[in-house]
Amino acid sequence: MKLSFYPGCSLEGMANDYARSISAVFTELEIDLVEIADWTCCGATAAHSLSQSMSVLLPARNLAAAEKMGRDIVSPCAMCFNRLRFSQQMIQKKLFDIPWSVTGDIQVHDMTRFFAEPRMIASIKERVVKPLVGLKVVCYYGCQMVRPPKITGYTDYENPQTLDRIATAVGAEVIDWSYKSTCCGASIGIARRQIGESLAGRILEKAGQAGAQAIVVSCPLCQSNLDILQKDRPEKRIPVFYFTELLRLGFNKITDPQWFKMHFTDPVPLLRAKHFL
Amino acid sequence: MEHHHHPEASAGQPARQPAKERKRIGDRGDFFLNRIQGEAGVNISACYQCERCTNACPVSHYMDIKPHQVMRYIQLGWREELLKSATIWVCLSCEMCTTYCPNEVDVAETINHLRNIAAQSSVAPEYESLAVFHQTFLDVLRTSGRVNEIRLMSAYYSKLNILKEKMKDGSLKDEILVGMSLLRKGRLKLLTPRSRAIKELQKAHHRISGEMD
Repeated sequence: MKLSFYPGCSLEGMANDYARSISAVFTELEIDLVEIADWTCCGATAAHSLSQSMSVLLPARNLAAAEKMGRDIVSPCAMCFNRLRFSQQMIQKKLFDIPWSVTGDIQVHDMTRFFAEPRMIASIKERVVKPLVGLKVVCYYGCQMVRPPKITGYTDYENPQTLDRIATAVGAEVIDWSYKSTCCGASIGIARRQIGESLAGRILEKAGQAGAQAIVVSCPLCQSNLDILQKDRPEKRIPVFYFTELLRLGFNKITDPQWFKMHFTDPVPLLRAKHFL
Repeated sequence: MEHHHHPEASAGQPARQPAKERKRIGDRGDFFLNRIQGEAGVNISACYQCERCTNACPVSHYMDIKPHQVMRYIQLGWREELLKSATIWVCLSCEMCTTYCPNEVDVAETINHLRNIAAQSSVAPEYESLAVFHQTFLDVLRTSGRVNEIRLMSAYYSKLNILKEKMKDGSLKDEILVGMSLLRKGRLKLLTPRSRAIKELQKAHHRISGEMD
């Protein structure tokens, strides 16, 4: 299977550990992943807030490059995924004219949905040598991956299941909870810190109340918010994993605790207690 | 506005307050409503004020005009109130309102479109820091095609108003400490690749702005 990969800016900085775990997982699952040449930022919230033309143009350039390669796109970041799909629909509906030749016909996958397909789940299960038995997790999806459904294509946007299926496949005990797709605040905390802290704080609180020992995410910004905004909760700290980190733990490919040094909320004590490290 | 002088006031009687100026439905016609409906592709007339959007919104508490009121304001043509509101910058684009509207009114896209209009207008934003953050993001993006977090944050903090605000509310020290931890942990990269497609994008943007080459 051949796919084109659109990493997005976060994966070169704040989430460079996510980027490394993704490329390792794809290698381990023997899927050929080629980065889109000269990809540009998707524009994120800033572009669609200030300039509609930028918000369509920026992802369109990446869609055009992927079409040239003739490969479907897989996007690990919820925001990038949402903006790519948005731009694709604007092009398909002929609501916007762009100076590149793009049909919008290739598929844009969010990475969790790609991994949650039955074929991929089977492939994951084959490779799990160290099932994460007894690890109680809640899966957190955030906004942009699931909403609005007319853009994302999610039909179970109220109770999404992709991460749940992946975490189950790797042996973790997935707890049902009500805050799967409640907003973490995104970048609002940078300008209005108390709003950001109250939104992220509520999600952490509810994860703890649900009995979770860890949170599983796929969005770099959700990970940063939930992981970093925990310093005021010293007794109730709860590690926040990228789902690709759980996969690699299950494949027994992470044995060095140093791997987790980029986390603010240290998951090593929990993993040691469970004998996963 | 002209204030009427009441003769009683000068005769030692308590002054009667002039009736508060009220805006009536249709005062400004439905030009603004029609414009937003056309540009944003949203059927705002379909809003019947059930408040589902406001109840779904995680930040309605911080908004001066609640999401359902935004719809009503547009129907009434109250443009300036909307463009200077805190609401349009507090909105997280989390899409809860749009997803749960029983009448399929795309509330988030409507608020987003108001941000677009405000950014191009002369109206000063109520929540300046949020508008400045988005603008800084695009400035960094325009120079390198991708957004490096160190460049973004240093450009943002070097804006005088932002720095003043951060010093006033005492969050500056905390945020510098977080920044240093991020650097130490290897989450911030000084140098990240630029996209060679940036020239191509700038050219495309010029063309969209009406400049033929």
